[in-house]
Amino acid sequence: MAGVRLKNVTKRWGSFVGVDNQSLEIKDREFLVLLGPSGCGKTTTMRMIAGLEEPTEGEIWIGDRMVNDDLPKDRNVAMVFQNYGLYPHMTVFENIAYPLRVRRAAKAEITPRVQAAAAKVELAEFLSRRPRELSGGQRQRVALARAIVRTPLVFLMDEPLSNLDAKLRVSMRAELKHLSHELQITTIYVTHDQIEAMTLADRVGVMEHGRIQQLGTPDQIYNDPENIFVAGFIGSPAMNLLQGNISNGGFVTGGGRPIADASLPDQNAAVMGIRPEDISVTAADDGTTQATVYATENTGESVVVTAQLGQQRLTCKGDRYLKVAINDRIGLSINSEHTYFFDAETGKRIRRG
Amino acid sequence: MTGTRIRIVWQSLQTVIILAAAAVMLVPIIWIFLAAFKTHVDVYQLKLVFRPTLENFSTVFAQPYDLGQKLFNSTIVAAATVAIAIPVATGAAYAFSRFELRGATAMLVLILATQFVPAVVIVLPFFVMFRDIGLLDTRVGLVLVNLAIVMPFAVWMIKGFIDGIPVDTEEAAMVDGSSRLQVIRNIVLPMAAPGLITSGIFCFIIAWNEFLFALILTNKDAVTLPIGLALFKAEEGDLWNLLSAAGIIIMVPMFVLALVIRRHFVQGMTMGAVR
Repeated sequence: MAGVRLKNVTKRWGSFVGVDNQSLEIKDREFLVLLGPSGCGKTTTMRMIAGLEEPTEGEIWIGDRMVNDDLPKDRNVAMVFQNYGLYPHMTVFENIAYPLRVRRAAKAEITPRVQAAAAKVELAEFLSRRPRELSGGQRQRVALARAIVRTPLVFLMDEPLSNLDAKLRVSMRAELKHLSHELQITTIYVTHDQIEAMTLADRVGVMEHGRIQQLGTPDQIYNDPENIFVAGFIGSPAMNLLQGNISNGGFVTGGGRPIADASLPDQNAAVMGIRPEDISVTAADDGTTQATVYATENTGESVVVTAQLGQQRLTCKGDRYLKVAINDRIGLSINSEHTYFFDAETGKRIRRG
Repeated sequence: MTGTRIRIVWQSLQTVIILAAAAVMLVPIIWIFLAAFKTHVDVYQLKLVFRPTLENFSTVFAQPYDLGQKLFNSTIVAAATVAIAIPVATGAAYAFSRFELRGATAMLVLILATQFVPAVVIVLPFFVMFRDIGLLDTRVGLVLVNLAIVMPFAVWMIKGFIDGIPVDTEEAAMVDGSSRLQVIRNIVLPMAAPGLITSGIFCFIIAWNEFLFALILTNKDAVTLPIGLALFKAEEGDLWNLLSAAGIIIMVPMFVLALVIRRHFVQGMTMGAVR
């Protein structure tokens, strides 16, 4: 068991910066998710921890050991790859046993440990098959079993669920959560799927442009975003981000009267964030502001209404019985308690006094 | 004409074309096969019914032809070529495929470019060099020449196979605790095995059939089978019955190898091509 520390780690390829002077401390037994769009540096960060990529600058520590110069095999980490990375010429048993064999574990020890690992991921009856005879979900289980067959200091998981179909992803997610609770091993998990991040993580690091934009619990990331990127990235449908300005303690967009309370000093270029579920659709003459229906989408559990408000559009989530049609006049009631304000130039959050 | 009839005509036409093409390719081989079992007198008659004899085969192995020694030379030279070429080419191909080498593309093109030089142009320099260092008419010399011929093919072919192995698989093995050499031995070689076998047999066939260099660089001790064929000339003309018997001895191993690799070969070709 061990924590992981990155100290001012940078990875550059020529002039391209993959990871930009990033420091990060992952506690022992913590489940940390690195979340971000593709190309944000999350996978590179993980590959540097695994030793598959060499940092250009900075130090990587696993436990109390600086591992910059260690080969992957000497770091005692286990990794699950997006494409599984199974050995096609070996049976499932041999695949799971490989980390033990290559580390010269005692022969008598190998079989029981492989069987225990396979049982944990419900693969016990497939041990004599080859990977190509398994389904995608089963292959991913083999990769998991291969990771848990020994007790590594750290688990690294690189988008382990993204090659699975949607339904399987949900059930595998629950299994992963159960497994990690049972094993209590420090885990770093890379994904672009915010649901995976929210559900699995103790802490989430939201990455963009090679830097962690915000590091916090799923609750902090969702309810207390530090900047526009995090606010817009987390949540589905995404948070509404309205351009406007703050004057006399209210947020004004497109001239006219304020649509929400701001209780902040005046600011010319500001962005107000409000989640779709914090806006309710009302009758045309009620609500804090009026708009026209641009589109409606019935998702079954709710109706998502896109409203045209001057030059900008807002999404709001109404309950599933909401009946509005395109071009209807509606009122919008914006809950001022759940608004976020950002500096339009720096993207930083403007917090109340 | 109805659609069915057009189809029948078209299919018959296809069959005729295929048979014609097969005949063009097979007739010489059938002719050689028949001639090998004919007496010298029968060879010049296009008889399909004759009394077969095995005499030709015993003649070619006896003095003065002594085909046994040439068979031995050919086997040793081709086998040694493959035994050296495949491991060396695998090492080179792995490096080209997996490491960032300065000027890798240029090197790969240059390796292939050696094949653009016509053999006739370089056979005389080889002769002079080999004469000076005493490699003329030796099997070692022939192995060296054959290596120069097959290595570029082997490197390119094997690189194609290694390119086809996902890097993820190798990285997984490294994280699982393997050194680079263990990755190559436990993961890359087994996964590339069909490709290595295909390339090996390919090299064997090239070395087995190599004629020009063997003709110029050997005269007695290291003579190989293809050169041996040229022995069957006498005052009464070409000894077609003996030539045919020797021809069959050259062809049979190739035929067997072709059967062995038929399964791997198509896979090998496409696997190398797709990357």
